[in-house]
Amino acid sequence: MDFPFMKEAISQLFSKSSCAMYPAVPSQAAPGYRGRIEYHPELCISCGMCERVCSGNAITRSVENLEDGRDKITLTFNLGSCTFCATCADFCTKHAIEFTGDYHMVATKEEDLLVSGSFIKAAPKKKAPAAAKTEGCQTPAGKESGVKPRDDGKPVNDPARCVYCTLCAKKCPAQALTVDRAAKTWTLDEDKCVSCGTCAQVCPKNCIIM
Amino acid sequence: MFKRLIAERTGKSPWLFHINAGSCNGCDIELVSVLTPRYDAERLGFKLAGSPRHADIVVVTGPVTKQSLPRVLRAISQVPEPRCIVTMGSCPQSGNVFRGSYSIAGPLSKYVPVDVDVAGCAPKPEAIIDGLTLAAKILKEKRGRMN
Repeated sequence: MDFPFMKEAISQLFSKSSCAMYPAVPSQAAPGYRGRIEYHPELCISCGMCERVCSGNAITRSVENLEDGRDKITLTFNLGSCTFCATCADFCTKHAIEFTGDYHMVATKEEDLLVSGSFIKAAPKKKAPAAAKTEGCQTPAGKESGVKPRDDGKPVNDPARCVYCTLCAKKCPAQALTVDRAAKTWTLDEDKCVSCGTCAQVCPKNCIIM
Repeated sequence: MFKRLIAERTGKSPWLFHINAGSCNGCDIELVSVLTPRYDAERLGFKLAGSPRHADIVVVTGPVTKQSLPRVLRAISQVPEPRCIVTMGSCPQSGNVFRGSYSIAGPLSKYVPVDVDVAGCAPKPEAIIDGLTLAAKILKEKRGRMN
């Protein structure tokens, strides 16, 4: 009787296994893998873009007013609702959101099994940036706005509330806006502006007045 | 004596039953990749069962659509105790991108107690192995409590 693969079958018995021996041999995620989110609150300017572009509604932002007049802004990323599409990280102008290669996202809620099982990464608490800037932010907010709308229907920026996220400039269909983040300037080219209102619509801080 | 023997033997090899509750097939593929030779979860005793009545661990993928909800619950109710329910991917935990849709009845934890959540969209096979080993541990504890 002929066993055609007998030799190979026997040699395979003594050869190394071809499978990934995962729990015994630790494995690294491939470069560029989008795993657990890492949030850098010290870079965040709280423009709210990440929250807005998130398809899974995984990002929640809570603002807590402290006694000394400052705001404590907390961003929470719910990894149990995240699609790991990295759109938030792409839109973040300050690169405060980072996707790491950590894929170990396993959670249990033994003590409370009926509560929605989401893996919540408690974002580090972020205090409002500088005291001087915060005071500037709060005064116009209380008084509606320090800037008056123009008569010709073109946009005006309220520099006290603007975070210079450059979103208005990116969305402007006529390229009439130039925003310099470093110099903190917001300039409007009146000849190019078509008074469409897109900038005011997209502004996460609602600081553009039409 | 028999009870102890059964507990010992079955604890070493928990069988999985996979329920697709409206999943996009991403997580299903990853689960299959865990069970096939590349990641070979059968090394660790995990075996895919064909019937919920044979299973110890229920793996649910997908956001639990309204159509699938009664079937999911029926299948889970057929799994004998002690059982361990594992949600795989973001969908059964929160609905993910389908949250708020008219056809979604999830999250799963509204209907059944969920033991282990494996996050990711889809989770990496290694993460699934982590989740399953954790589920096996929980299953062992549950069985110990029952006996």
